[in-house]
Amino acid sequence: MIHFTDITGLAGVASAITTTLLTLPAIARLFKPYRAILLGAVFVLVLIPFAGMPVAAYLRGVTGDLSITTLVLLWCALLKPWLDSSMLSDTRTSYTLLTLVALTALALYPMALGVGAFDPYRLGYGDPLFVSVLLLITLVAWSWKYTLIALCIALATLAWSINWYESGNLWDYMLDPFVSIYALAAVMIDALKAILQRGRPRHLQG
Amino acid sequence: MRRYICKRIIQDYTIENELALMFKSTVRQLLILCIVLIAFGAAFYKVTQRPSSALFKLVGTAYKAGNVVPDIRTHFVSTQQNTSTHAASLVELSDGRIRAFWFAGSREGAEDVVIRSAVFDPAKDIWGAEQNIVNREGTQRSLLRYVKKLGNPVALRASDGTLWLFYVTVSLGGWAGSSITTITSTDDGATWSSPQRLITSPFINISTLVKGTPFLYGDGSMGLPVYHEFLGKFGELLRIDSSGKIIDKHRLSSGKSTLQPVILIKNPQQALVLMRRSGNSPKRVIATTTDDAGQHWSAPIPITLANPDAAISGAVLPDGRMVTVLNDLEFGRDALSLAVSADGGASWKTIYQLEDKRGQPTDISRYSQVAGESAQATDANITDAKAYAKSAQRNKCEAESCSFEFSYPYLIQTQSGNFHLVYTWNRSFIKHVQFTPAWLDQQMEKAAKETKTK
Repeated sequence: MIHFTDITGLAGVASAITTTLLTLPAIARLFKPYRAILLGAVFVLVLIPFAGMPVAAYLRGVTGDLSITTLVLLWCALLKPWLDSSMLSDTRTSYTLLTLVALTALALYPMALGVGAFDPYRLGYGDPLFVSVLLLITLVAWSWKYTLIALCIALATLAWSINWYESGNLWDYMLDPFVSIYALAAVMIDALKAILQRGRPRHLQG
Repeated sequence: MRRYICKRIIQDYTIENELALMFKSTVRQLLILCIVLIAFGAAFYKVTQRPSSALFKLVGTAYKAGNVVPDIRTHFVSTQQNTSTHAASLVELSDGRIRAFWFAGSREGAEDVVIRSAVFDPAKDIWGAEQNIVNREGTQRSLLRYVKKLGNPVALRASDGTLWLFYVTVSLGGWAGSSITTITSTDDGATWSSPQRLITSPFINISTLVKGTPFLYGDGSMGLPVYHEFLGKFGELLRIDSSGKIIDKHRLSSGKSTLQPVILIKNPQQALVLMRRSGNSPKRVIATTTDDAGQHWSAPIPITLANPDAAISGAVLPDGRMVTVLNDLEFGRDALSLAVSADGGASWKTIYQLEDKRGQPTDISRYSQVAGESAQATDANITDAKAYAKSAQRNKCEAESCSFEFSYPYLIQTQSGNFHLVYTWNRSFIKHVQFTPAWLDQQMEKAAKETKTK
């Protein structure tokens, strides 16, 4: 029997596969409508059972369900050619979001994997203080017009509230190792670039 | 004049544009605020629905001292020859029969490993036929995700009588890449539901395993002792509701050296957890305690019982005495002991040696003979002890050298008061030992007399 959470989990993984395809130059060069048809077809294809299981299920076995933050970023990338993504995010917001993800991941994963006696993952099972702090962060992000950040946290919280995935832990809706690694790499590359830029003579600085 | 009109038109157009942009921005902000408020409204509602902390449930027995004679019996639970068989557990059924679960296949971690089960009838003193409960392909199909291998099944009968079986599934890497899957049965294990996965770790849900005996909380929720093996090695306690959702978890230890917690519940608020020590010195069982039904745990400490990086099991008698079964050794798993504590786990005394093959020959020919004798001693009805020895040889001999292994004990006390213990016999079979509380008392008296004599 297929559960609702299987459909949502597989759809998330299918989104990731589709977005990865979009990065291929041959596909990125395609005429927009053809691109849309091709990506739609791939999305459906990876969800069709092949030798007993959909392709997305094999990947899901390894990746688990993707966080809502990852999905929001993936869908922003996927719909970029068709929608004005500046509505949701500018460079400042994207950088702040990635920094926030990177810092949170650096705090969460080592402790959740056994460093120290405190387990922050436990807070995700519905700790009232944790949800309150998240609300505060979301409202600050909203008032400072960091729309993408506010949207990521709000959608993750909403998905957790309605049991969108099989996980009952709010952390799983906000973060996953893939968006964390991406954010860490992006923040480090950005910091490295800034350091190199500072080291260059003034007349060569961009 | 014409220039002035043009300028005004451009100005008006710019203002209009700016106003439109401002309006769009305000609408967008309000829309986002609505989403935020709806999301957190729903989240706070969910938070209020979360069950509060609960006390441990004490399991009583019908046993009255003096009405049972001292008795100990042994059997083999599994019968499959030439397979790798390991990690058995037990659960008492509604009619007093006992159901065992274990995993078996061509080798540990192989794709053909299945979870098997059999039922013991205490009235007839006989184990029924084995059956396959779960296999890798079936789990994979139902979970809609790739599964590489299965392992460690443990079972619990919930307050409503539903049987819950928790077992380990691996999709990525070795046992460190494990997660827990569960199935349920409302007919004492005759039929089972489709599998459901427990999400217990933020890191692609890997590295949570089960081994210890699950238990019940006073409110009907289930307690499941688990452990992690990826990067860190530490114990945790999961609290699971009647729908199979995790509602809370507590860390029992941290770092890289404790595995397979076993909880011994003293009363609704106090419990002792014993853990397998993984790593170097001290090669001792690690213990932690709680006085508030698991909300807080003391810093883990090594106790007097030795541990060669091997699993432990235990039970608490209604009078508060604690019984544990373990490899009370610093190296190897060739001896299995029964130890008792009469002071809440502060001190332990080994009262009976369930197995002891220390110093036995390890060359193949002598090993087969000793293993055959051991099988015959386990069950006198065995007609072909050589076949049992051959299976042991298959799993425990490398080149010309062999070793004995009696490991992964799992002990329960049933409603009748009798104890049932299963463990891995040379990685080839599951052995069952049943004994009465009167036999336990007798062994304790014997051990006390021996101590006095010394």
